Amino acid sequence: MSFFFTALAAFFLLLMLFLFVWQSLPVWRQSGLAYVTGESWYFRQQEFGALAMIYGTLVVSLLALLLAAPVGIGAALFTAEILPRRWRLPVKAAVELLAGVPSVVYGLLGILFLRNWVYDGLQYLDLLSGDTLLTAGILLALMILPTVMTLSDDALRTVPAAQGRAARGLGLTRAETAIWVSLAQSWRGMVSALLLALGRVLGETIAVFLVVGRRDNALPESWLSLRPLVEAGQTLTSKLGGSEINIAYGDPLHWAAMVGLALLLLIVVAGITWLGNILMRRKEGESYASLH
Amino acid sequence: MMNCKTWISRWPVGLVVMFVAVTGVRGDILKINGSTTVNPPAAEAAEILREEKGMTIQVDTQGGSSGGISMLGDGLVQLGMASKPVSDESRARYPAVQFKQIHVGEDAVALVVSRDVWEAGVESISREQMQGIYEGRIKNWKQLGGPDKRIAFFNKEPGRGTWEVFAKWLYGSSKKAPQASFPEVGGNEEARNKVASTRGAISQLSSSWADGKRVFALSIKLADGRLILPSNKNIASHQYPMSRPLFLLSNGEPKGEVKTFVDFLLSERGQALVRKHGYLSLDQLQ
Repeated sequence: MSFFFTALAAFFLLLMLFLFVWQSLPVWRQSGLAYVTGESWYFRQQEFGALAMIYGTLVVSLLALLLAAPVGIGAALFTAEILPRRWRLPVKAAVELLAGVPSVVYGLLGILFLRNWVYDGLQYLDLLSGDTLLTAGILLALMILPTVMTLSDDALRTVPAAQGRAARGLGLTRAETAIWVSLAQSWRGMVSALLLALGRVLGETIAVFLVVGRRDNALPESWLSLRPLVEAGQTLTSKLGGSEINIAYGDPLHWAAMVGLALLLLIVVAGITWLGNILMRRKEGESYASLH
Repeated sequence: MMNCKTWISRWPVGLVVMFVAVTGVRGDILKINGSTTVNPPAAEAAEILREEKGMTIQVDTQGGSSGGISMLGDGLVQLGMASKPVSDESRARYPAVQFKQIHVGEDAVALVVSRDVWEAGVESISREQMQGIYEGRIKNWKQLGGPDKRIAFFNKEPGRGTWEVFAKWLYGSSKKAPQASFPEVGGNEEARNKVASTRGAISQLSSSWADGKRVFALSIKLADGRLILPSNKNIASHQYPMSRPLFLLSNGEPKGEVKTFVDFLLSERGQALVRKHGYLSLDQLQ
């Protein structure tokens, strides 16, 4: 039975992939690889380059991970190592509830508070408005924080307690044990937690849509420049969530370009998820090994 | 009598029955989608018809006017709402659909600015100046006699009725508008909130949403130097250059529940709703 459902899921995934490739063929035929590396997206001139959106997606996602990882893993260390056992479950349940809040709620909170905080807080940088890649990154970090925390906590709990006791017995302090035993043993689990979170970040639409500014062709002058972080940008998902799809419908090339964005997104998310799964499986293998 | 166990063993049957029942009821929903400008009176009309006639009506604003047109074209809704006429391309795209435009009121696109700009004395703008902003030649309010502050221009998404009317005024046709990359806003709520919360902001907005408290509508400076406010009088006489009709769209002649809804919005009570939300009703246009 489970084989049947797996096959069904695989079938739909392949069907989707096939549909996206097929529907986006015209744009690949017109631009080829320039569709991915092209810097300008001007649909009325039939120019389709997705680079600025790929850039926006990557910047926003990395930012979210960089912000969420230390806080999430730190909180997990607290729940797994320090918090008394009877408090752990209520805290974990509360955090996991946060993970279930619909993203549009986060988006509206972002519009109500975060936009203005970023805008007023960074006023010395002369921001044009509160809609920036940074705002989107912070918002996404808040959204994935519960996931990162609870999965990291799980990873920390797979470290056998005997090892911790042994380390303490050898004279390591509590902090040293946490870092050199628990973290060292469970880093793979943390990485896969982050990768799963990254999957969500990459695909998140509505929350990003509301605070990212949706400005096309926002590429930095230098790839290392941090200035674009505090300017409006566009991600793959915010483009797909906008009203341009209504215009694209009926114009084969424009439509293909929009579907192509979905294909790019699918490829990136699938790749990340796959990587996360591999790491996850290795981690399981390792913890079995440590039992024997 | 059937006991509990047999019921459970037959749950697929029950599920099918429930599904049929639910979809049977759902079939009667009158679905409406489109412009956020037309939405307020339409949504309130739907509320009244729901109470008085027990009709099930769902009003949504996905994708604005062009969303309304394409969803009507695809048969996903029975009525569209649009704050621009249906273009020839849209008609060509859905040859099987007979778009019928039902004129329900009149409105204008205002150019609104945030409080700091307004209070610094910028109260009007000419077409050339707006073109300058749109083409990136004018970047600071100083160039328009305002404060030394960068211009934060929020552009309406392409496909929004508001944008089309704006582009037509600025360049004669939305197709002649140069491509520009500005931060974009969607519905009227979003445009108003973002302008209100940003210093040095300007955007296009349905004139009835320009409340004069948080966002302020600029007069348009005509070539002969006259200043035209988007007031009811100027919209009715079409003196104000960005006046526009508001439409309900149906596929062919309205029939059944669609007709009930259209007739209600055209009736005196419906037209009062149009006025209540700040638009001009049809009798004000003569």
